[in-house]
Amino acid sequence: MKDILRRHQILREEIVNILNKQVQIEAQSAANYLAMAAWCDVRGYDNSAEFYFKQSDEERKHQLKLFHYLADMECDAISPAIEEPQHEFTTLRSVFERALEMEIAVTDAIHNVVRECRKHGDIATEEFMRWYVQEQIEEEYVARRCLELFDVLGEDKIALGMFEERVLGIEYEGD
Amino acid sequence: MTEIEIEPEVSNIFSTNNTALYQCDRSESFILKFFEEHISFKIGELQAIRKKIRNIDLAQLFKSGTPDIEILNVPQCDRIFVLSILEILELKELFSGAFVMLELNSVIHREILRK
Repeated sequence: MKDILRRHQILREEIVNILNKQVQIEAQSAANYLAMAAWCDVRGYDNSAEFYFKQSDEERKHQLKLFHYLADMECDAISPAIEEPQHEFTTLRSVFERALEMEIAVTDAIHNVVRECRKHGDIATEEFMRWYVQEQIEEEYVARRCLELFDVLGEDKIALGMFEERVLGIEYEGD
Repeated sequence: MTEIEIEPEVSNIFSTNNTALYQCDRSESFILKFFEEHISFKIGELQAIRKKIRNIDLAQLFKSGTPDIEILNVPQCDRIFVLSILEILELKELFSGAFVMLELNSVIHREILRK
């Protein structure tokens, strides 16, 4: 008797479920960043807005990469429903505080996917997720550096102007 | 709905009193026998219907004031099933038994036949 389960279903159901959950988390992040970009844009923080537009695009790419992986593995990739993002913030710093919290939550979720892969011995998906683990190191670093800039510069008008000048230059060198 | 002639090379994976699941190696598909009907599914479709059956909340059906039937849409065979509690129990038993057998077959292939 042929092993149809293995021939056509490469991933276990538990892995498919947790990857679809991750697709939803990435989609939610993309929507949240878009809301942050809008908040920054209308208040004249053009560079911060650009920073978050880029972040939103990044999250969308992360979502699609997972989505394609599921489809390539002949599994059902679910286009997710997302919740209403937070549109109101008190200060520019609070936007960046929220961004760091989001990135930490995404990192935790990615690590949970890796743990689930290890639990089920899914070496291929664990290897696929390695890119996300690395990516989260970078994402968290950038979010933290943004907050450190507020610590260094302060939050008066001149400081916020200086923050705007620097925010697009924050990168993770990684070496 | 697709009516299927059960061919001799088709393997029986698991059966209950009124239902059974067969695997056809030639077409790489599964045939669900549900009382007198035979319906063909690909693996993905089978997984989807299994999930729907598994997600039926039996406790909810036993509550008074709610109908003790569940309507199940199976777009793959252009068919809507109206299932009684007994039929749901039988399908739940069929799918859990059949998937244990399919996973066992996978283990046999991985540990013995492919080595």
